[in-house]
Amino acid sequence: MPGAEKHLRVTFLVAPAYLWLALTVFLPLAVMLFFSFLTAVPVGAREATLTLQHYVSFFTKKIYWYNALRSLELATYVTLACVVLGYPVAVILTRMITGRAREAIFLMIILPFWTNALVRTFSWTMVLRGPFDIIFTYPAIVIGLVHAYLPYAVLTIYVSLQAIDERLIEAARALGASKRQAFMRVMLPLSLPGVLAGVFLIFIPVTGSFMEPRILGGKDAIMLGPIIESQFTATFNWPLGAALSFMMLAIILLMLALGYPLLQRHMER
Amino acid sequence: MRFLGLTYLGAILAFLYLPIAIMMLMAFNQSPLYELPFTFDLVWFKALAGNERLLTAGWNSVWIALVSSAIATSIGTLAALGLARNEFTGKRFLQLMLFPPITIPWLIIGTAMLIFFFWTGVGRGLHAILLGHVALSLPYVIVVVGARLATHGPELEEAATSLGARPAQAFFRVTVPLLAPGIVAAGMFAFAVSFDQFIISYFLAAPGTSTLPVEIFTAIRKGFTPEINAISSIVIIISMSLVLVVSRFYRFGGER
Amino acid sequence: MTTISVTSVSKSYGAFRALDDVSIEFRDGEFFGLLGPSGSGKTTLLRAIAGFVTPDRGRIAFDGEEVDRTPVHKRRIGMVFQSYALFPHLSVARNLAFGLEVRGDPKVETGRRIEEYLALVRLSGLGGRKPRELSGGQQQRVALARALITGPRVLLLDEPLGALDRKLRQEMQVELRDIQRRTGITTIFVTHDQEEALTLSDRIAIINEGRIVQVGSPQEVYERPVSVFAAQFLGDANLFSGKAITGGLVLADGTMIRVSGQCAGLAVVRPEKVRIGRSAGAELNTLKGVVMQSVYSGASVVYRVAVPVLGETPSLAFVQNSSGELHAPGSEVTLAWDAAHTMAVAP
Repeated sequence: MPGAEKHLRVTFLVAPAYLWLALTVFLPLAVMLFFSFLTAVPVGAREATLTLQHYVSFFTKKIYWYNALRSLELATYVTLACVVLGYPVAVILTRMITGRAREAIFLMIILPFWTNALVRTFSWTMVLRGPFDIIFTYPAIVIGLVHAYLPYAVLTIYVSLQAIDERLIEAARALGASKRQAFMRVMLPLSLPGVLAGVFLIFIPVTGSFMEPRILGGKDAIMLGPIIESQFTATFNWPLGAALSFMMLAIILLMLALGYPLLQRHMER
Repeated sequence: MRFLGLTYLGAILAFLYLPIAIMMLMAFNQSPLYELPFTFDLVWFKALAGNERLLTAGWNSVWIALVSSAIATSIGTLAALGLARNEFTGKRFLQLMLFPPITIPWLIIGTAMLIFFFWTGVGRGLHAILLGHVALSLPYVIVVVGARLATHGPELEEAATSLGARPAQAFFRVTVPLLAPGIVAAGMFAFAVSFDQFIISYFLAAPGTSTLPVEIFTAIRKGFTPEINAISSIVIIISMSLVLVVSRFYRFGGER
Repeated sequence: MTTISVTSVSKSYGAFRALDDVSIEFRDGEFFGLLGPSGSGKTTLLRAIAGFVTPDRGRIAFDGEEVDRTPVHKRRIGMVFQSYALFPHLSVARNLAFGLEVRGDPKVETGRRIEEYLALVRLSGLGGRKPRELSGGQQQRVALARALITGPRVLLLDEPLGALDRKLRQEMQVELRDIQRRTGITTIFVTHDQEEALTLSDRIAIINEGRIVQVGSPQEVYERPVSVFAAQFLGDANLFSGKAITGGLVLADGTMIRVSGQCAGLAVVRPEKVRIGRSAGAELNTLKGVVMQSVYSGASVVYRVAVPVLGETPSLAFVQNSSGELHAPGSEVTLAWDAAHTMAVAP
């Protein structure tokens, strides 16, 4: 097919979707970046000048940087818990259960993941209030988030475990490795890319979470996510909220940049 | 060993389903304060039937999910076709562009949309929510349909043309039937993404009119009533049945 | 029926030259094998004839009529793909019907032809099955029937037997040849399997690095290779290189090798042409060497013989086990062969 005609056809096919994404995601992000350097929202006759003050505030005011650290701390706990709890689930699914039972249990584990996150978080308020009475505490936030993100960990680890050729384990055993050694030296290293993918998929949204802390955390809910949210819904300091959003994005990008080489190896496989 | 493994698996499943089960149970409990003993009653469902606000929000959620999944599925399928069957410069870039909307926290995307829509005069409201939901579903649709396209190479379409089929005949007789399960799955994914979406809707909702999750959030923060349990139970059941239907069309990385 | 001529066709992918000024003619009704290593351009040539690849330069004509501007679906070809490319969502019968339906044949006629072609490939009664319910060999036959049912001008086969195991492969070779003879259709098939090419083809083209190295009948190509590559790609060959003289060449130690044809300093001999013994007879070319290894396979023996003047590479001799005696490794032997079997080759 001639080049020009092909070009036209490809453009026709991809343009609507990408135009939509550009106008509702990428352009808004660019505009928000612009807003984060303004003194005020430029509406009506209100004066707005360029400033770095919001970014300076992030580093100088304890309420912002300290709560950013709290968000990262929360993400670390939740991610760690999800991987530690999820890895054995993935192993059990791939090694102990076969056929339709595996398919069914796998579906059961990822089913909640496709249901309403808000409603699931809400459902914890009843459990945590009842016999344990830890509602509106830090552990309540962690439990709610682990519940929300555990399926991600199981999913990514399961997929990478499933890709491991059973014969590799057998080869290791034939070479004299104990079950434990075969796991530590063959299975675990080969599944690490899956673990890493799970870590990213959990760490990033948990860093940006605000709904779970708001519902489950009470006064312990003060973190970067809820602080950003309140700039838009309560105090209406949009430029500050925009700057804080970009600081959060910067932190996330930093994390991605650190882990990207490892993740890339996983994608290429 | 096996026993230990199955016990652990059971415990994890209990952890995942226990709160949902308790919430559903409480929706049928007479006491508004979740007090035991459990007394079966449909009082909260009856109350729900009279709650105009929640019902309107529910209806908004459903039609926004329907419309946004229809839009996202059609233009997303086109994009997947364009990406899968052609080599061109910038293709890798377009594929990479699908990741930010999925990976950037919704809090950031939602606030960016709020600023942008406000600034351009699009404003807040159901139309803004609809615009946002399509954007969120698009990457999923493109990935799901693209994965389905990748399960067979171009040789089936080539076989069709070698047998004398015009490009349009090859597309409608071979590509579309093979793609159908992927398109159906993508559509239902898109529906689920929209129907369950809270964060974006929360920032884009105009006061007074919103979707169900936003309405539920507001109610929870105001001090909730068991009507919320009732509507939440309904929402969960709708979502779960949807996924069960999708799973018939599309295997989630699971293998026989 | 159809003659296909390819004239000066070139195709590059970036810096990679897949086809480099290829000219070749496929005669009416012949079974033609395109043989070459992977990446040699043989599949590109086949796909250019089909119309999936647009050449950068050159012309392709069916019966003298140029098809360069004809899209694939109007070229009236039949093609069997390496993976068969059976439509998984259609039954066997509907797969066969596909080509007839898209050109709008009447239903009754279509049904009759499906029966006829299912019978041709011995799959009568399996029309209702889905492709995945068939064995590999059966799928292969469906692919063949689907390609033939539309009455194409040429049948193009891309490694058609590549996915089958050895025994099935041999059965299908016979069947494929038989069906081709009966239909009389011009057939071009791509393979990297030299034995398959020799067994099936009326003529063979050896392709390497986008160029046609040699074209001829299997016997011509095997017995009279034109280049070192042709000799070594199609079977084993012992290679001699030295100074060209009248009637042959002289090796580094002064031994003369008599060669049939004009020799420019390179010659080859097939291992099965080489006789082996403790002493020389009346043969024309002889070389002394030491047996390094013998591979015994009952009816025949392959000897690897170290000949000092030929350097590291051992010479091969493939001999019938007529005496029942083996030359043990380490024994000194003389290799001998006719000058007529010693073929001059280009580098």
